[in-house]
Amino acid sequence: MHDGTSPTKSDDGRSAHGPAGGTSLVERVASTPTPAALWAVGLLLLVGVEFGAVLQAGTALLAGLGRALSVLSPETVEGLRTAAESVPTLLSRETVPNQGWRRGPDGPWRATFAGLEPKVAWLVRVALVYAYAFAFLAWLWLGYRRYRTHYRLADWTPRDDVIDRLRGHRWGQFGFVVVFVFVVMALFAPALGPTTVDRNVLNPYDHEIRYYDAGTGEVDTITVGNANLQSGSEGAGQNVGPWTYDAYGRFHPFGTLPSGKDLFTFLAEGARISLSIGVASMLVSGVFGLAMATLTAYYKGLTDLLVVLTSDSIKSLPLLMVLILVVVVFQGTWLAEFYDGAVLLTAVLALVNWPYLWRAVRGPALQVAEATWIDAARSFGQSPAVIMRKHMAPYVVGYMMVYTSMSLGGVIIAVAGLSFLGLGITPPTPEWGRAVSVGQPYVATASWHISLLPGILITLVVTGFNALGDGIRDAIDPESEGGSGVEGAAAGGGGA
Amino acid sequence: MSRWRYFAQRVVLAVPVVFLGTTVAFLIVRLGPIDPAAAILGAQQIGSPEYYQLREQLGLTQPLWEQYTDFMWRMVTFQLGRSWVISPGTRVNDLIAVYAPRTIWLGLWSVLIALCIGIPLGFYAGLNPNTFGDYFASFGGIVWRAMPNFWLAVILVTLLSQSQSLFGIDWEGLWVSTQVVTPPDLSVFAEPTTLVTTPGEAWLQVAVAVKQIAPAALVLGSASMGNEMRIGRTAVLEIINADYIEAARAKGVSGRRLVWKHVFRNALIPLVPIITAEAFLLVGGSVLVETVFAINGLGSLFFQAAVQGDLPLVISLMYIFILLLVAANILQDFLYTLIDPRVGYERR
Repeated sequence: MHDGTSPTKSDDGRSAHGPAGGTSLVERVASTPTPAALWAVGLLLLVGVEFGAVLQAGTALLAGLGRALSVLSPETVEGLRTAAESVPTLLSRETVPNQGWRRGPDGPWRATFAGLEPKVAWLVRVALVYAYAFAFLAWLWLGYRRYRTHYRLADWTPRDDVIDRLRGHRWGQFGFVVVFVFVVMALFAPALGPTTVDRNVLNPYDHEIRYYDAGTGEVDTITVGNANLQSGSEGAGQNVGPWTYDAYGRFHPFGTLPSGKDLFTFLAEGARISLSIGVASMLVSGVFGLAMATLTAYYKGLTDLLVVLTSDSIKSLPLLMVLILVVVVFQGTWLAEFYDGAVLLTAVLALVNWPYLWRAVRGPALQVAEATWIDAARSFGQSPAVIMRKHMAPYVVGYMMVYTSMSLGGVIIAVAGLSFLGLGITPPTPEWGRAVSVGQPYVATASWHISLLPGILITLVVTGFNALGDGIRDAIDPESEGGSGVEGAAAGGGGA
Repeated sequence: MSRWRYFAQRVVLAVPVVFLGTTVAFLIVRLGPIDPAAAILGAQQIGSPEYYQLREQLGLTQPLWEQYTDFMWRMVTFQLGRSWVISPGTRVNDLIAVYAPRTIWLGLWSVLIALCIGIPLGFYAGLNPNTFGDYFASFGGIVWRAMPNFWLAVILVTLLSQSQSLFGIDWEGLWVSTQVVTPPDLSVFAEPTTLVTTPGEAWLQVAVAVKQIAPAALVLGSASMGNEMRIGRTAVLEIINADYIEAARAKGVSGRRLVWKHVFRNALIPLVPIITAEAFLLVGGSVLVETVFAINGLGSLFFQAAVQGDLPLVISLMYIFILLLVAANILQDFLYTLIDPRVGYERR
């Protein structure tokens, strides 16, 4: 513990105008460098094994910028990309390949990781990815702990209590773990799938695989597209179920779609779409809702009435129907093709969802607007903008997190529901709802997995987000313990 | 402020809300990139004489402002126009009269199912906290709520249509023969007098219609069922630990009386917004559930109209749904003031 400090000082440690004239964070780190240095070594290790991926992401970004500003020639971009791809990465398909073939009926596997069979090789890669992700999480946690014990001036802040309460909240932790597993699935989708979207879904005829042909007794090659045609799941006649191999030595953890595409790859990529739409739209409407909440709570009166009217009008629109209408109206325009329609959906969802969030945090915002410290700040001559940002928003932001977390599930369901109807995300880009829709005729057959698995994933993720929201709520406000009317309305239900 | 004055104020405030909501729907349709005339004739007809004739006929050549005022006036007077694509020339009012009863029937039963299962389960869990039954009901409610409607519908349709081989009970042939995926036969309600004149036959038809709608209603009610359970549980738990329950118990009020008179009545209050919020779930979810269960109600009508570009139908249905949702909101506030006079008057 840093001694001789009083808890009245600023809790972020960055400002150095406390009564005791505290030192800056840099100086504090310089005086006791060991914990910070060890922590930095951890970062180097974590980034080091994934350096190739970081480089690739960097070049992709650079290439995009370069193209936009037309300062980089395509050749330079291509050169950069190959250079980045040549750097080995721990969590790539190249380091731990799972696609291989065998020489004879029971011969050893070729081209897979350490000659293991594809299933085991894939499992190794999945285990590595999740081990890495959890190691990264542990590193972050360690960093917070070290900062708290070694570098922060204050011994205690209210936020410490929030975190400590969350540490004892099993249900919230369950939610956190589920959400984290889902986020990792989305982030590492290309590395997690047994095959890639480009190979398997978008351009299957541009890629070839080698396999042992039992009929001729030789190793043959076939395009992925043709192999897919032979390994679709179409009920009793032909089926590649979960956790099985198809005739071409490819392992399918979740089985295949009727088109023979790998369901796990499809769902992992679909998680990316669902999560990006959910997080982006909730972020926008959360920030907007927060701004509105502080504004209306501060000014009240006419401002409040106007926002009440606007939000009530938006809330009077049936969400799913507005989504259907907008998607249909904008069909075929550039906006609908921007990122396969994800941008359009995000924008509409953000526009439609903020009134619910605003309404949910209006109570706490009004409460904080009555607080004495707001009066004090006003009498000190602080500008309304600063008061709202510095003295009101921090109090409300916790509640906002609760409601955004709970509404995120609803957004995921709404997007899946749209895809189920054949709207929203344009095929062939993977989306969970489309898998449910595609598998609909096969639910009662041997190919039950096509509809069932995506539905279970959605249910799990929505439960996870709701549990996380519960956890945060109990952590920031242990008195509340549910019961408020808005909670039920905000919680992501299967309404859509 | 009296109860009635407050209620009147709510109704007055609802007018601009309906107005703005409808305007938004109009703007999406008219200012969006969709060309109504091209939607009817097909894109290759753009520029042809018929195309311009149709534009003239649809009133698209008038200034937007005139179109808007004209539209709003027709909405207010419920002259909803005629369908263009789905059923060309048919008045929207007639279409709604045909399709709405099925949706109302579906909505009625999903609310009933949600209420009759969700609230008792929630109260049971609240009265027996931290028992196995409580955990089972609570966790079940949470997961049930998280399931997407459309997925649940898909699974249920399959389970029921294969029930003979899966469970040994044939749902389709159970009691009376019905299909799993079918619009309910509501012809009996066209002549309600038969319910009295030939009760045997008429009530049998009602029962058949209930059986036809039950699976869809279960799915549609599922989300709110979970909500009601959860809120009901929390409410009961909160009240049981309140001082006045302690006092009543000390006075010697019997257990049964305590639960019915003191706990349940008060536990219903936080359930009011949940129950009226069901209107939202029903209106939105009806599209998906009606599509899967092939119930030709307003939801599937809206979906068909939207996909096929039948704009007058789409916008009229949107207007109807907005009216429904706003009415549900007013009902919610009204119920609040009825059940708990402390809430409401000064809330806004």
